[in-house]
Amino acid sequence: MSEHYDRGAITLHWVTAALIVANLLLGLSMVALPISPRKLHWYLFHKSIGITIFLLTSLRIAWRAIRPHPAPVPMPPWQRHAARASHALLYVLLLVIPLSGWLYSSATGVQVLYLGVVPLPDLVGKDKALGDALRIVHVSLNACLFAVVVVHVAAAIKHHFIDRDVALVRMLPIVKPPGIVHS
Amino acid sequence: MLPWALGALAFLAAGIALADSVVVDKSEIGFTMKQMGVKFDGGFRKWKADVVFQPKALATSKVAIDVDLGSIDLASSESETEAKGPLWFDTAKFPVAHFTSTSIRDLGGDRYEVVGKLMLKGITRDCIVPLTVRTDASGNRVAEGTFSLKRLEYRIGEGEWADTETVDNDILVHVRMVLAPAA
Repeated sequence: MSEHYDRGAITLHWVTAALIVANLLLGLSMVALPISPRKLHWYLFHKSIGITIFLLTSLRIAWRAIRPHPAPVPMPPWQRHAARASHALLYVLLLVIPLSGWLYSSATGVQVLYLGVVPLPDLVGKDKALGDALRIVHVSLNACLFAVVVVHVAAAIKHHFIDRDVALVRMLPIVKPPGIVHS
Repeated sequence: MLPWALGALAFLAAGIALADSVVVDKSEIGFTMKQMGVKFDGGFRKWKADVVFQPKALATSKVAIDVDLGSIDLASSESETEAKGPLWFDTAKFPVAHFTSTSIRDLGGDRYEVVGKLMLKGITRDCIVPLTVRTDASGNRVAEGTFSLKRLEYRIGEGEWADTETVDNDILVHVRMVLAPAA
């Protein structure tokens, strides 16, 4: 019964995945750097990648509305609910985390210059206490994202190797789903 | 005898320019720099100004300002520590910036020009500060002005920061002095 995801959904999924991994690593590396021109450049890249993830996620939600996803592979109801909840949480986090970063940047008085070209408006005024609070919010939300991504990846591996279903394969960009998918 | 004495006293009083009292909590010394393509505001929490400003006696009017560079406000303790370091202000060796006026010119209307010397990080250069002077509702005289300085002329931001692609060479300095009317 299950179908393959369409090419747009697959592309958006994997591009977003790559950007998330890159930005988590970049975020952790840049905060450890001593203040320097390199650090400021890495911050600019980090913010640009974050805003890109926000835009891609918005696009994915719109895409999903136009081209609905295939029905979930057969699984117990609790797993279906858990999958639904974790996917929803991923979308929410991928929208909220960039916004929290943008808010944090505004609160520290640094306007976000998307891709080094497009100035984004400051969402809040410069406020040191608010900035400190938003930093904690941004880091905590990323810790949540990391946890949900681990569950997401673990579930994909379980579906593939233990349940031996097509949940993972139908999202892969190259491997075509085996014939049984349409049987 | 008495009229002569009074006359002499009046002459003396006119000659001795009484220092204006600066309303510190309404006055400010701040700056705007351009960092990674976006403007960033900062300021100084501690400074001292000796101002004698008499529009009708500009020859005896003068301004002397000492800025405690260690009191820099950048809304981030990491940036503030860096700003006090040897590559920027080097406050261990040069804790104070001095401005001393050499002349004040009337440009007509409410506009004036304070010409003076700015000593920053052991380097003294000529400096011209255009001001507008207005009287506020409570009778205070409000002098406000902005001037541009090139940070590299004062060796502010050396080494890896000397590249103006990260932090622009031009720094806009804003001065706002509120002078209470003489008692």
